[in-house]
This record gives sequence, structure tokens and C-alpha cells, in this order.
Amino acid sequence: MQRSIRPTNTPRRTRRLLAAAATSAAMVVALGACSSGGGDSDSAEGRGDITIWYSNNENEVKWGKAMVDAWNADNPDEQIKAQEIPAGKSSEEVIGAAITAGNAPCLVFNTAPVAVPQFQKQGGLVDLSSFEDGDAYIQERTGDLSEQYQSEDGKFYQMPWKSNPVMLFYNKDLFAAAGLDPENPELATYDEFLATARTLVSAGVSQYAINPAATSEFFQSWFDFYPTYAAETDGSLFIEDGEATFNSDEGVAAGEFWKTIYAENLAGKEKYTGDSFADGLAAMASAGPWAVNVYKDVVNWGAVPFPSSAGTDPASAYTFSDAKNVGMFTACENQATAWDVLKFATSEEQDGQLLELTGQMPLRQDLPEVYPDYFAANPAYEQFGDQASRTVEVPQVPNSVAAWQAFRDAWTKTVISGEGDVADAFDAAADKVNELIAE
Amino acid sequence: MSATVSSGSVTPSSAARPAKPGGGGPRRGRRRRVLGRNPLGLVLSAPYLIFVLLVFAYPLVFAFYMSFHDYFFAAPGAVVDRPFVGLENFQEVLTDPAIIRSFGNVGIFLLINVPLTVVLSLVLATALNKIVRARTFLRVSFYVPYVTASVAVVVVWLFLFSSNGLISQILGPLAPDPAWLINPLLAMPTIAIFVTWKQMGFFILLYLAALQNVSDELYEAAATDGAGKIRMFFSITVPGVRPATVLVLLLATVTGANLFTEPYLLTGGGGPNGASSSPVLIMYQRGIEQGEPGIAAAIGVILVIGVLILAFIQRKLAGGDES
Amino acid sequence: MSNAGNPAVTEGLAHSDPAKAPRVRTGRSRAGQVNGMSRGQNILRYVVLSIGALLFLFPFYYMVIGSLQTAPDPTIAGAFPNPANITGQNYVDINSRINLFQGLVNSGIFAGGVILCTVVFGVLVGYALAQLEWRGRGVTFGLMLLVQVIPFQLLMIPLYVMIARDYGLADSYAGMILPFAINSTAVLVFRQYFLQVPKALFDAARIDGAGELKILWSIALPLVRPALLTVVLLTFIGPWNEFLWPFLITKEASLQPLAVSLANYLTNVAGTASNPIGAVLAGACVLAAPMVLLFIIFQRHFVSSDIGSGVKG
Repeated sequence: MQRSIRPTNTPRRTRRLLAAAATSAAMVVALGACSSGGGDSDSAEGRGDITIWYSNNENEVKWGKAMVDAWNADNPDEQIKAQEIPAGKSSEEVIGAAITAGNAPCLVFNTAPVAVPQFQKQGGLVDLSSFEDGDAYIQERTGDLSEQYQSEDGKFYQMPWKSNPVMLFYNKDLFAAAGLDPENPELATYDEFLATARTLVSAGVSQYAINPAATSEFFQSWFDFYPTYAAETDGSLFIEDGEATFNSDEGVAAGEFWKTIYAENLAGKEKYTGDSFADGLAAMASAGPWAVNVYKDVVNWGAVPFPSSAGTDPASAYTFSDAKNVGMFTACENQATAWDVLKFATSEEQDGQLLELTGQMPLRQDLPEVYPDYFAANPAYEQFGDQASRTVEVPQVPNSVAAWQAFRDAWTKTVISGEGDVADAFDAAADKVNELIAE
Repeated sequence: MSATVSSGSVTPSSAARPAKPGGGGPRRGRRRRVLGRNPLGLVLSAPYLIFVLLVFAYPLVFAFYMSFHDYFFAAPGAVVDRPFVGLENFQEVLTDPAIIRSFGNVGIFLLINVPLTVVLSLVLATALNKIVRARTFLRVSFYVPYVTASVAVVVVWLFLFSSNGLISQILGPLAPDPAWLINPLLAMPTIAIFVTWKQMGFFILLYLAALQNVSDELYEAAATDGAGKIRMFFSITVPGVRPATVLVLLLATVTGANLFTEPYLLTGGGGPNGASSSPVLIMYQRGIEQGEPGIAAAIGVILVIGVLILAFIQRKLAGGDES
Repeated sequence: MSNAGNPAVTEGLAHSDPAKAPRVRTGRSRAGQVNGMSRGQNILRYVVLSIGALLFLFPFYYMVIGSLQTAPDPTIAGAFPNPANITGQNYVDINSRINLFQGLVNSGIFAGGVILCTVVFGVLVGYALAQLEWRGRGVTFGLMLLVQVIPFQLLMIPLYVMIARDYGLADSYAGMILPFAINSTAVLVFRQYFLQVPKALFDAARIDGAGELKILWSIALPLVRPALLTVVLLTFIGPWNEFLWPFLITKEASLQPLAVSLANYLTNVAGTASNPIGAVLAGACVLAAPMVLLFIIFQRHFVSSDIGSGVKG
């Protein structure tokens, strides 16, 4: 081995590392001075070409391309350039990073409502109420539900676009094989649901009665707890008037219900990388109208509202909306054009196209009356069209992601793994949530 | 014989020959240059240094800066309030049980992964170095997991380790319940085994390359003296690849401390009650998902300091001939 | 105990032991012994290695089988599939959704750019750190270690802001390559490799009057071949499998490497594919195949250079 001729260097190395750090700091200052400043204050009036992003879900792409082509044909001076971004939780990072870098597009057609408060805090979203007909347009199109999409200051930082009301899908064939009535399943109350679930599993028709994702990402609660809670409370939100509501008796009842399900192994506790319902692993699933297309040739399905302790009446039941909205971003230079495009993309005609191509419910009031032909031709979607008018959204509060994460952590510990008392865990989580949203 | 060998000398022949007039002696003028004897080194390293400063310096110092502020990313031109909060972020990080648990998890991970990696990869590399038949097949099979994208392998692994997956079926009554990845005690060890398996190819490669420099004469001579295979392994191979071992230790520790992909993919967010969360996973959740980059930066700073301390300790224990 | 029959080895040894009778080292020089150990031990070694190899390969095998099935089969029987269940449809499916060829090309450009920069500049730094003495050597080494210790997630957003906004490299190959351009682990490997080269080699050349650059070019670089291959193989994997950064920096689907397209597809598994898991596995096999091929081709070149011969000769 070569012998090192260097003298001992531990103290010297520290000095050298510090020197390196100092050089870097100098560079930071230099770069900071270089980086360009803010947006154009005239962009609210600007007209011209714009860029939009939409999700790369196959049917939405079809709709998006058609919409863009229709607009571009009529507006040669204000062309739209469209790009796909993946749907899914990583899209939030992409949008957040784009806001920070200042290269966000004008419109993003898959903005998750849970991320809106954060984007708003970042100064990334344009206040749609600042447009002359902003409030009027949104309220006329979406009706009473539009209230849930207002931010705490009463303004709209997002355009409610489409929802996928979450319902309880069940496999008619498996139900029949287990000796249950496939056309009128007994799933209205907690007791009925549990009895049905036990029958399914003990008959061996499927390993689990239902298998929602049992992992601890913050958004998983939207597909097990939140629909149950909405049904139980007839439309109460997760947080109302600045306070967590889920530690109420109804919330705890919903928690206890799911705890029983997990304790009796009626639902799986592991991550399954496929679709449990399509693969026959579970006889029921929590899904929205987007699933109709996916399941139509795979499973003989039916859908009912989520159960509640006293029994749910399909005509008045509430559920989670699973909505995706459209945001306009401050990096946009031609906001007047963007607003017109937004109105065009949510017009009655385009909403109808969305319905046809994707089966997802535009957030437009009185859907069954506006599109009677569609629902007559596609009866499978009828109940979703009806359900779409009774949904709850994730609350538009600051730190909403952290709040949901706090709840989910309590859920995985107490409800899924069965440790501890549900009421206590929910109280502790509620305290934490109240702290988080008070900032 | 073993004395010469264990000094780490690669070429005993040079020790046997008369000392060459090289090294410290009368070199080309004892010019005390300002930039050291071979300023060429600076020139050669310049592109790398420029790269590091250009790409890493700004984000790094920025991250450090963020850890002392109540920071969040905002659109350019947005007027936001980002007060200096001193050590508050660090305080919050050090008192959060979830974060402490994640550091503990990484500790467990390192305890299992690092020794297993070093030992197994050296043993396997030594064995692979000597075989003749089916060399290609055997070498490739150890390398394949390293090459495959985590995203895909995870799907297979989840299949195998689910509660009714292949492994549990084979183990029958011995299979743990709850199953591997949702078992608070077994989740992290399972991930440790997974990562060890996956990374092995990389370290075997390193050792294979290092083994090329261990001269055959040493083995020859030892065999002539009647040394057994195991004796030869410990007296020749192990010291002979010491620099590689130092490297393997360091890299295994660093990649282990920065564990993110595997907990993220295998347990989707930290496992039951945070039993398989890692500091970087939490950094990602808090910093990017929840928009608190100041907290994430604080975790990052603590993590980096921890790893540097670990590396320093390792250097003291295992290395020491060169830094 | 290096590769029996390797000409470089035997040649080197012939050089270094002129006193000993030139002996070919392949065979059984001692009765019943191969390379100095008993037959039994040798067979045991093969058995153990083979079992290990099978264990290592099994999940990969499962992946390939899974990609060829029409429906995923989690039972034990699924590992030995029914020939009737075999199909290439998954490959067709995934190719119809994401352009596999384009993805491979982009991955190749991304990885190729990184390898080029790493090899060219990394060798220089590794050599400089190992064999030369210069002011700032310790700082550089410290920086190199520091760069590796820092988790990427910490730097992600500021890095993105800097590259996309300040350098203006969004949606470009340069933007993709830049954070990965010179792989610090590779530099570490080069350095460690050069450290094992006896200094005497270079000193001899200096004594003979060669300039530093000449030494670098004529002695150091040719020596580095085994390490070069290791480094190329190791550096290739990072960018090849990286999906987070290219995903951030590019929005144009035509620029995205295959790993990104695959990860995107995975998050949209609730799509119209009849066997989404099979399709994902098919894509993953396509992603892994070039790497495995590359390794198969190049692993033969791990020759023993027996550097000692150069010193003694």
C-alpha cells in the first residue's frame, strides 16, 4: 500500500469543509440575486396562447383532445397547447414544483381539492372570484354544492369540475354463490353489512368481503372512513367551522364498525397490488362511476350506498365526492383566455361530452334533468347521477394534507391493527387536527 | 508470511526488492509549491468540482437555510412571510415520536443490512471469482436483482410475502401472523432482507474488481506453506480487499440511511404504526406532500450529521490507512 | 486464485517468476486437487453457489413468468405455469399504452449521457485524488462524500427550481442528465482502484522524466480498464431506473425514459388493461433486459491485470 505523505489532517479537513461551505454560500447569494422575480400584473387581462395539463387517464385524454381541438378550431389567435401529466398523488408534487419554479401551466384539469389550500398558500392559484362573472358562473353551474369548494376567505380558487361519488360495489355472482340475494342485498345497516360479510367469507366465495387499501397514505381514508361517515351523518364534512368533527358519536360509530371488520378479517390488512374486486379477492369494493367501465366485462356488479347505523335510504344518502377540479395558476400570462377556456370546458356541451366519454359526473346541478338521454341510454350510471348531488368534499382548510395524515395514522393504528380504543384515538387525532388547521 | 500479507501490501515483490529511489526521496526538485506538488490534480478535478458546486451547492445551502425558517415554497413574486425560527424546527423533529421511530427503524435496518452485505458479498465474490463452469450464469444471477427497477420487483415481492403468498404457504404453520410486511416487528427486517438481496450485485461487483488485484502468488505461497482454504481467506483475501471493504461499508451505510424507495413501495407510507417508515420517507411526506420543507430540511440535516458520524466511526474501526 | 486459463494471468506469472519452472496453472497440479482444493470442496462450492443463484433469480423468474400469463396466479402452482396460460399479450398491451421503444431510447440517452460524463471526468478526479498531491485534495474528497450522504428528496425542489427556472433546462435531455452527470460513487470507485495501484509505478515514470500528463495518459488510463467496466455497469443503473427526477423535469411524453412511463402506468393501473399486473411486469422485463444483456457481454472482461508484473519487469 502506498504510504501517505500527507500530514494528519483531521483538523485541516474540517477547515477545508468549512471553506467549501463558504464558497457554496457565496454561490447561493449570487444565484439568489440572479433569479427572476414575480408575475405580470397585467396577466389578468392577457389574451393569447395558453398551456393546459390534463391527466393521462385514457378516457380523459380522449375528452381533453376533443375539447382542445374544438376550441382551437374556433380561436386561431388563442391556441391551447395540452400536455398530459399522470394522475395520482405524484401529480401534486409536479404541480407544486411547477408553481415554485414559475412554470406552471394556465389550467390543470386534475387539481385535487385537498391540494388547493396549499397551492393557494404558495400564491400559485388565481382567485376565480376576481373575474367579473366568476362567482356567478360557478354557483349557477354547481348549485349549493359549490359552497364546499370555497376557500376560507369565501373565494373560489378552483373550478369544481367533476366528481366520482363513492358507492359500495358488490359482485352479484359471488353473492348468489354465497346464498345471498344479488338484486336486493342486505347492506343498509351496520348489522346487516356485517352479517352479509360474514356469510360471504365463511362460504368461501372470496377471501375478503371488502378490501380497501389498508396502507397509511393520507388519502386512503377517503374510500373507507369518509363515505361511511358521510352516510352516517347525512352530509357532515370532516372539518366544519374550523373544528374536527370526526370524533363525534357518529364518527366513532363508523370507526368501531370498520374495526370490527378488520378484527374479524373480513377485510385484508396488506397492500394488494391489483384490483381486489376485479380479481375476485373481495366481494365488495368502494369505487365511483369511473369503475363502471373497468368492471363492465369483468364482474357482474351492482352498487348501493354505504351503510349507516340506522339504515341508509338511497334517495337521501350522502357520500364522498372524490372530485377533481380545475385550477388556474398565477404563472399564466393570458388569464382572460384561460377563463374563457375554462368556461368553455365546463359548458353544458362539454360536460355532456365528459359524461359520454368517461362516465364521470360533471359537478353540475340536476344532472339527471340536464342529460336525460344519456342516463336513459346508460342506466348503469343513473344512480351515480343521482348520488352526485349529495356529496361531501375534503374541507378547504390550511394544512389539510397533514390533518388527513394525522387521522390516517390514528386509523391504521386503532382501527386496522386494533390497538387501543377508537374514541380515545379519534379524540387525540381531533386535537392534533385542530392544532394543524388553526395555523 | 502472514505479517507481510496483513500489512495490506498488494505486491509483496516490491517489499522484497531493494528500496527504489521513489516516494519521498530526491524527487524532481523539492519545490514547495503553493498548490501542492502536483497542481495538475486541481486541474483534473476542476470539472467535477464545478459540477458539484453548480448542481449541489445551491440546493444544499438552501436546505440548510430552510431548516432554520418556517419555510414553504411559493410562486415567484408572491409576498409571503417566512420568519426565522431558530432551532424550533429541530426541536419539533427531535420530540416527534414518529420521527424518532423512523430513525430507530433505520438503525435496525443498518444493523441487519450492513454486516450481512459485507460478509455475504465478499464470500460470494470470492467464490464467484474462482469458479470456472457456468461462470456467466452464476454471476449474472446475483447481479440481476440490482439491475431490475424497484418498482417492478416490489410487485413480485409483495406477491411472495403476502399473507397467502408463496413464502407463507411454504412455511405453513411457521408463517408469522400478521404476515411479514404488516407485522410491526417483522416489517423492517423484511425490508432489510429485501434491500440486501437487491443491492448484493453492486457490492459483489466491487469486490470482484478488488479481488483482481489480490495477487495469486500470495495464495500460491500460502498453499505451499500448508495453509487451509479458510486460513487463506482470512489472511490473504480479507486484508487484501480492505480498501474495498471500507468502501462497501461506507456505501451500504449511506444508502441504508437514505432508505426511501423500498418503504415507500413496499408498505405504502410507513407500515403499521410507522413500523417501517424511514427518515427520508417522512421528509418526503412532510416536505413535499404536506408543504413543510423547513421540517423536512431539519430532518435532513440531522440525518446527514448522523451518517457522517457513523462514517467517521467506521473509518476509525475498519479503515485508517487512507481516508 | 484467479480465472484459470486466463492468458493474462499466466503471462503475468511467467514474467514474475522466472526462477520457477513455468507451470500452467489450470489443471490438477496436485493429485486430486483443482486450484489447490479438493474435488469435494469444489463441488460443494458449486452447489452452494447454485442454490444461492436460484434464490436470487427466483423473484426475477417469477417476474418473467408473471409477464407471460394472462391472469396473475398467486398460488404455488403459479410459479410453474400451465402452458395454456402463456401469452405475449401483456407485452402488446403495455406497448400500446406507452411507447416501449421510445422509452428505451430516451433511457439510453439519459444513461449514456451520465456514463460519458462520469467516465471522462470521474477518472480524472479519481486519479487526482488517489495519486497526486495538491492543495484542496481533502476538500474535494470531503465534498464527494458529502454529496453521497445527502438524500435526493432534500434537494429535489430547490434543484428543480434552479434547473428549470434559473438554467432554463426544463423538458430537455440536459436538464435530465445534469443532477446525475458525474456519479460520485463512481469517483469513489475510481479513487479506490487507483489507490491499489502501487505508487512505485508512477514514481518510476517520473524518475524517467515523464511529465504528469504523459503519466496520466500512458500509464494511469490504460490501467483503469477493469475499474472502467465496473463503473460503467454501476453508473448505468442509476439513471436507467430513475423515475422521480425525469418525471419532474419533463412533461413531454416523447422525452420520458422508460422507467418514468412505467411508473406512470403503474399509478394508473385502474386502466383498461385486462391484466394490469402482467402488463407492468412485461414493461419491467423490457426495462431490465438491456442491463442484463450488457452485463452478460462485459463480465468476461474482469481480467486480472496483475499490476505487480509491471513493477517487477
